[in-house]
Amino acid sequence: MTTTTEHVERKENFAIGILRNYPMEIILGALIVFLIFMAPGFASTHNLLNVLRTVSMLGIIAFGMTAVIISGEIDLSVGAGVALAGCIVAWFAGAIGGWGGVAVGFAVAVSVGFSVGFLTGQFRRWFDVPTFITTLALFAALRGVANLITGGFPLTNFPSGFDFLGGGYLFGIPFPVYVFAFTFVAMHFIMNNTSFGRAVYAVGGNLEAARLSGINVWLVKSMTLAITGVLTAISGTLIASQIGSGTGTTATGMELDVIAAVIIGGTSLFGGKGRIWGTLIGVLFLGCISNGMTLMNVSEYWQYVVRGGIILGAVLLNQVLERVR
Amino acid sequence: MIMQKLATKTDEDGVLEFHDVTKLYGPTKALSSFTHRFDKGRVHALMGKNGSGKSTLVKLLAGVIQPTLGTMFVNGEQRQFTSPHDSFAAGIVTVHQELSLVPELTVGENIYLGRLPQRNVGGLSFVHWKKLHAQADALLQDMGVNIKSRQAVSTLSVGQQQVVEIAKAMSFNPSILLLDEPTSALATKEVNMLFGLVRRLKEQGVTMIYITHRMSELFDIADTCTVIRDGHYIGSVEMKDADHADIVGMMFGDEAHATRPPRRAIERSNPVLQVKNISRTHAFKDISFELYPGEILGIAGLLGAGRTEVMRAIFGADPLNAGSVTLNGKDVTGYTPRQMSQAGLGYTPENRKEVGLVQMAAITDNLCMASLDAVAKGGVITRAQEKPFVDKQIKDLSIKTDDPELPVSSLSGGNQQKVVIGKWLNTKPNVMFFDEPSRGVDVHAKRQIFDIIWEGAEHGLSSIFVSTELEEVLEVADRVLVMRQGEIVTEVDPTKTNLSELYGLCMEGAKN
Repeated sequence: MTTTTEHVERKENFAIGILRNYPMEIILGALIVFLIFMAPGFASTHNLLNVLRTVSMLGIIAFGMTAVIISGEIDLSVGAGVALAGCIVAWFAGAIGGWGGVAVGFAVAVSVGFSVGFLTGQFRRWFDVPTFITTLALFAALRGVANLITGGFPLTNFPSGFDFLGGGYLFGIPFPVYVFAFTFVAMHFIMNNTSFGRAVYAVGGNLEAARLSGINVWLVKSMTLAITGVLTAISGTLIASQIGSGTGTTATGMELDVIAAVIIGGTSLFGGKGRIWGTLIGVLFLGCISNGMTLMNVSEYWQYVVRGGIILGAVLLNQVLERVR
Repeated sequence: MIMQKLATKTDEDGVLEFHDVTKLYGPTKALSSFTHRFDKGRVHALMGKNGSGKSTLVKLLAGVIQPTLGTMFVNGEQRQFTSPHDSFAAGIVTVHQELSLVPELTVGENIYLGRLPQRNVGGLSFVHWKKLHAQADALLQDMGVNIKSRQAVSTLSVGQQQVVEIAKAMSFNPSILLLDEPTSALATKEVNMLFGLVRRLKEQGVTMIYITHRMSELFDIADTCTVIRDGHYIGSVEMKDADHADIVGMMFGDEAHATRPPRRAIERSNPVLQVKNISRTHAFKDISFELYPGEILGIAGLLGAGRTEVMRAIFGADPLNAGSVTLNGKDVTGYTPRQMSQAGLGYTPENRKEVGLVQMAAITDNLCMASLDAVAKGGVITRAQEKPFVDKQIKDLSIKTDDPELPVSSLSGGNQQKVVIGKWLNTKPNVMFFDEPSRGVDVHAKRQIFDIIWEGAEHGLSSIFVSTELEEVLEVADRVLVMRQGEIVTEVDPTKTNLSELYGLCMEGAKN
């Protein structure tokens, strides 16, 4: 073999290597370029900030969900959890009044999120009920509780300025984006640089090997669910602030978008594999696509079809790349 | 189609003959010029220690692998099997050691799985349930067993399931039946039931090749015994003319004693690990022993003797029903694996692929998995903190890898085993349990693993060593406990025991 062909080959390998290792990053990049030219108004600062605001609500939860899925579990109750958290905050805001009421409500919502998530994990441990089932039950029950709290009518007794949390700007950037960015950094650090994060990967990769290595596997799984519960409560509070009410019907179907973002980001539903960074890409991807389609006047029905296709396509792509690797 | 072929039986039917059959795996001869004729309608036991070439022979017959040289004659015809289907078509059916039944289905469905009788209703094909169960019941009755076709397999005992497995094999109407350790999971009563069935099939003229590790069974059930050692045919004897010593002698020949570093005197006054009367239902009962500083205690026994179960239970991986465990002077009964590991005990499980390692995770991650608390200061962990732990084990255990960031699945079996060991050495244990550390590992890596164990003992590490290869137990250990059917039956000094004696002890107590 001559040096020139070797050189060419190495170049080719380098290109293929990038394609293989960063497929979703490249596709997201291509999508953004496409939308800049094809979707009127996509590239405007106002629109981009709006996209970021929208994906923030979803993304905050998706980072927690990534940990849950890596640990080999699933949480289908986050959409209902968002509604419940919003209603709890709204109820306390009304009952106690002012920012004090909001603070108490927020604390209660976070505690409920943590406890429900943690207990879901323990339920799996003690009764061997798959989290798919437990959280499917919670999916129905939590929304029911949310509606019981509100009595079926939106609760709107928030103090003035409360809308800042979900709808306001800080230094020109929507406030939820800061929360989103902070959650990303925190979860990235937790998953990569703490013994807890390492244990999450080990537990999802091989439960028995992790157990025999002296890892408290059920504590680890329960904690990923509890973290997701807390993040759900935070997101629910931001959404309540944005729409100005606590409503039992908020965030219907949101759990599917959250899981979709995690999967598009390359996390394996079989557990043990996945990255917080990948989920960030998945979240941005979903945000751009739905914003772009709206701007291009694609009908809502088609948007659903396209989203379905994207989820399937992303998984297929990952499977194919896995085989090539 | 198979049925028709077998319907025309000849004199040579059921005869199995090997002519100079050789199987090479690279430079290793798994089977070397094997020549033998298995006569029709008899029960032929096939004996040999692990790695003797027994399973190679079975795989050749089942059509799973092909011989490198030589020819096989089945029913008087020269045959070449290129797939299990060919072997099947020639009338050879194998009953494997592991059960392959679907527990939720009925007995009849399991027997005819994949070929359920059909009936035609209005141009559509449906399962003919009546016919299915009638056929299955007829078959079971013919075999003289009291199992009904409509019973769910999950309601049967393990022994009955083994019978269904044989019924399934018989439904193919074979002339040659291979039974690979059919009794390894059975209790005595069930073994008798199985033997009744074997004798009945023999009367029907079925040739059977019977593989077992239980010597006493041979005298009950086999007509002849063929022994192979290191891939060579050693000989065949008629069981009525043979005794234990003959067969064990044929299996082991003049065993050369293995070499190891000189044994040190062990100070047996203060045990590091003390196990008192521990029991676990269906696994083992009333196990007591002591382990001393720097001692390597071997546990010998056949598969299913309860060696692994004892270690798992002491380590806290399975619960104990009775008894107590004391580690370093502290009562640790009922501890979880996590607490055990903190108390200074490490355990490398027998099946490293399934439960020893997270295959998809990096070598680094696996090496630090059991010592996350020690590596991470305040819960925070970085690659830089892990590096000394990883580098130390890679160097000390000579783990061969280009990059510790690669998944552990990229390593060879021997190096994977070293990662499992390294993972535990990182927890700085003072007692280690090594369960089958040499399984699926090449000779060189095996030596290295033994060296690691001996090296540890030099520095005061106490170990329990378990291996199915009894010669390894004799070589590695300072003292050997013999287990049989969940109980410790005796203790031997490896310097004063040879392989045949130990093998005899592990089997039905026949000390030669």
